[in-house]
Amino acid sequence: MKKGRFILVYIILMVVQIILCNFFGLSRYVLISVLPVLILMLPKDMGPIVSMLVAFATGFAIDFFSTGMLGITPMALVPVGLVRRFLITLLFGDDQASREDNLSLARFGIIKLTLAIAVTCSLYFLIYIWVDSAGTVGFWAAALRFFLSVLVSTPVSVFVSRLLRPE
Amino acid sequence: MAQRGNSLVPLVTAAVFIFLEIAAMSMLKRSSVLQDIWLNRASHNVMAWSWGGVSRLRNYFSLQKQNDILAGRNFELFKELQRYKEMEKHIQAMSKLDSLRFRSRFNYIPAEITAMGTNTRHNYIILNKGSRDGVKPNSAIVTPNGVVGVIYSVDKNYSYGLSLLNDKISVSARIGKEGMVAPLRWDGNGTNHAILKNIPLHLTVAEGDTVLTSGVSSVYPADIPIGITMGSRLIDGAVNIVDVRLFVDFASLRYVIIAENPDRDIIEELER
Repeated sequence: MKKGRFILVYIILMVVQIILCNFFGLSRYVLISVLPVLILMLPKDMGPIVSMLVAFATGFAIDFFSTGMLGITPMALVPVGLVRRFLITLLFGDDQASREDNLSLARFGIIKLTLAIAVTCSLYFLIYIWVDSAGTVGFWAAALRFFLSVLVSTPVSVFVSRLLRPE
Repeated sequence: MAQRGNSLVPLVTAAVFIFLEIAAMSMLKRSSVLQDIWLNRASHNVMAWSWGGVSRLRNYFSLQKQNDILAGRNFELFKELQRYKEMEKHIQAMSKLDSLRFRSRFNYIPAEITAMGTNTRHNYIILNKGSRDGVKPNSAIVTPNGVVGVIYSVDKNYSYGLSLLNDKISVSARIGKEGMVAPLRWDGNGTNHAILKNIPLHLTVAEGDTVLTSGVSSVYPADIPIGITMGSRLIDGAVNIVDVRLFVDFASLRYVIIAENPDRDIIEELER
């Protein structure tokens, strides 16, 4: 039941992300993405290989249905799938990571979860903005874009994490 | 078996990661011209860097070969230089000398050091050339930087010599081109230090003068630099000795030249 609900919310959030990409361009300096938190909140028993495959499929779907460049989102999202389990062990410790509980705001607290989301967002935007710039944007402009994107996307992602796992 | 499977997991994970990233990159290359150019440029940079690395590595491993070639060239230049030096002396001595008939006094044979001792008072040196190559006992062992020793005995393929760092060896040396001649010996104080003995009291020796082989010997060619003078000391109130800093660095020595005088037997016969 929980699994079915998670998949449904996951797909809805993907649709929301596609709509955000297509119709809500806030500024050229701000990107909003909830994709890193979608990968982070995947079931804890899911290994890195499956996580990366899910990340690739999610990124591909987003690029395919939005007006962006095909390939840029999977390129930035697959590394999040790779480091996801390592990050959970690092931030929540071996004991917490080995428990069967999935990540949720209620179980692990807002500070640790926010930190985990901020790290995954940083990794995602670092690659995304670097590839998107393709050497045509100055360092400080790219850094400002990265900083603002992480700053805006992290609280949005914390909110989204509650939708994914309300327990 | 299970352990082997566990050790394979990181490799499979890395392979899947690389595969997915390459797939994403190739999609990106096809969908955007800007990213296509950027990725091409990046791949060219990576290729250039890796080719440069391979080239640097290859150069590093070919240093031995280059070193041997340089040693060979060095030997040829040394031979030519010695010939010109001797020719110059003859021209000065006999103004009407027909230089075309001039013949060098020494035969030179390049050699590599097989073994060498520097830790005792009687140090030796073994070279990879022997009687088959024309090496004879009592030939000089030199480098363009100075005297190394003298051949003591010869085998078919190897020769055994006494190093200059041996207190049995004495070399006839001259201070400067026109200066006085005195015997030079190793004093046992370090591998870069020797002394000139029996310097008369009335002669003063300036610091920094070059010490060369005198040529007043059937063993050593003339005018091979040996070292520079460091200062003089009075011994027993009768004679001075002069400290000499040697040019040859025995610690890094590898290639030498054997100088063999074909007329030595005749000279020694006349001396008797």
